[in-house]
Amino acid sequence: MSPKIGIQVENVTKYMGPNEALEDVSLSLEPGLLHGLIGPEGSGKTTLLRHLIGLLKPSRGKVVYLDNGKPVPFSQVRPQMAYMPQLQSLYADLSIGEHLDFFRDLYQIPEKTYKARRKELLQITRLGPFLDRAAGHLSGGMYKKLGLMCALLQSPNLVLLDEPTTGVDPISRREFWDLLYRLREEGILIVITTAYMDEAERCDRVHVIARGRHLASGEPQQVMRREKVRSFEELFIRYDKELAKK
Amino acid sequence: MNGFFQPGRALSIARKEVRHILRDPFTLGLALGLPLLMVLFFGYAMDFNVHDIRLTVYDQDRSRASRQLAEVFQSSGYFQVRYRDLGPNPAAALDSQAAKAALFIEPHFERDLFREGTSTAQVLIDGSDNSTAGVIGGYLSGIQQAAAQRLTGQSPPATPVQITTRYLFNGELNSRWFTVPGLSVVVLAILGIMLTALTVAREWETGSMELLLSTPVTPLEIIVGKLAPYLVMGLIAQAIIYLAARLLFGVPFLGSHLWLLVSTLMFLAASMAQGLLISVVTRQQIAAIQFSQMAGQLPSLMLSGFIFPIESMPVFFQYLTMIFPARWFMIVLRGLFLRGAGFSELAGPMAVLLAMDVFFITLATKRFKKDVEP
Repeated sequence: MSPKIGIQVENVTKYMGPNEALEDVSLSLEPGLLHGLIGPEGSGKTTLLRHLIGLLKPSRGKVVYLDNGKPVPFSQVRPQMAYMPQLQSLYADLSIGEHLDFFRDLYQIPEKTYKARRKELLQITRLGPFLDRAAGHLSGGMYKKLGLMCALLQSPNLVLLDEPTTGVDPISRREFWDLLYRLREEGILIVITTAYMDEAERCDRVHVIARGRHLASGEPQQVMRREKVRSFEELFIRYDKELAKK
Repeated sequence: MNGFFQPGRALSIARKEVRHILRDPFTLGLALGLPLLMVLFFGYAMDFNVHDIRLTVYDQDRSRASRQLAEVFQSSGYFQVRYRDLGPNPAAALDSQAAKAALFIEPHFERDLFREGTSTAQVLIDGSDNSTAGVIGGYLSGIQQAAAQRLTGQSPPATPVQITTRYLFNGELNSRWFTVPGLSVVVLAILGIMLTALTVAREWETGSMELLLSTPVTPLEIIVGKLAPYLVMGLIAQAIIYLAARLLFGVPFLGSHLWLLVSTLMFLAASMAQGLLISVVTRQQIAAIQFSQMAGQLPSLMLSGFIFPIESMPVFFQYLTMIFPARWFMIVLRGLFLRGAGFSELAGPMAVLLAMDVFFITLATKRFKKDVEP
């Protein structure tokens, strides 16, 4: 499948109560790439991601969805989207198998497609042996993988992941990233948020966000070169000082 | 592409909810234990019938007639008679809390009775416990008649106007017949509001609602799917109360079981919609519990006529009770159990319940949003 779905964020401002959570954010998420929304905690990454899946509506500005470069309504893109929230949002008392069955019913996936997909996902995530274990008893990494499986069950074209690797050990994180690269090979547009700066460098494109503002976009190395820093950490410390002055 | 309501998706939510319930001892225990506990408590422990009232007799006449008078009290079954000698201060008889009432028979009681055909004895009642005092006062007129008959050996002379009283529907004024059917109101209000509020607030609190809302599931499917299992639990609770009322306490049921089912469903729907509204607004379990107690217990216990008669409330409160479904369900229940009320009699309160269902369900589903806006 050739990549086609893209998203254009145009001048989005969002007020949450009296605070400005996002301030005039404009950025472009090109099809088929792995995008990282990066920034320190509380910078507005999650808020921006929730705008992309329609869980929040912009106070000003808009989010435009593109299919082969042509704008299409949200309702048309929505069934192709999958989302994984940052909070531990699975059901602690349901097992892995019960979660998969539940999301099969929600997405109304035909039994034959479901069986094949489930087998494939269990193989990739290597969660097969733990099928009967309750989500509340999974390790951090396994839990996140289960969340990802639920999101991927319906074979989406667009995947939004909110800090999928927070609280996950390094080995599981590496596995998780291998999984993301596999998805990208299938032409899926992936958007993740992360506060880990080493992960920022593994994205195809990064979009730097701090204090609700969009500060830079591009390939990771390019952005660092342009800003004349050796790491994103350095970049954030600098931004923080600049923004604090204003 | 995505219908507004697809039964398959609602069913999958319901199936998930049943799993949660079966694995959560608290919910299951509350749903099945609460009705049992309430029935046992209100049925056995809280008996509003007053009997074995301690009565101290100060008999200064010590005649045959005075002893017969005391015996009438004793044999009525309501009083436990004890004789005492009169101290210097008659009112002290009740101060010690040893008795709820005292009977004073003055000297010459018998002599007056036979000489003048009439005689007087005085009863002091402890008015600090006014519910008991009222009941004792009610017993006295019956005792007076019985005493007249026993002491003079003849029926009381016919008076030009005679009022005879007979209690309909609950001939012995058995308080259990009155309270146990009404328990449904309390139990279903608490269960319906609290369990619904908890289950939806839990999804918000853990963040799983965010995940659900990002799938094709519609709010209506979430609501129907999540609430259906609790509706069934509410019906089970009602069945427990009904069976306990009939089998343990012998409460008659003279009305139609169909109307009992319909009105139960209507009241449950109103309660659950209130619970849903609470959870949508609070989105937190602790706050949801607190609000549920306010919305569930207070009106159903205090303002439904369950214990305190609405007719004797101040006018403002009489009108206030009208906005709570509990009051109307109470009318329907007592009508069905004790009076065998038919449709024409129940139509009014049922129509009010229906209107409340429409109001609460509309409000709750309107407030139920398909986003995570604060």
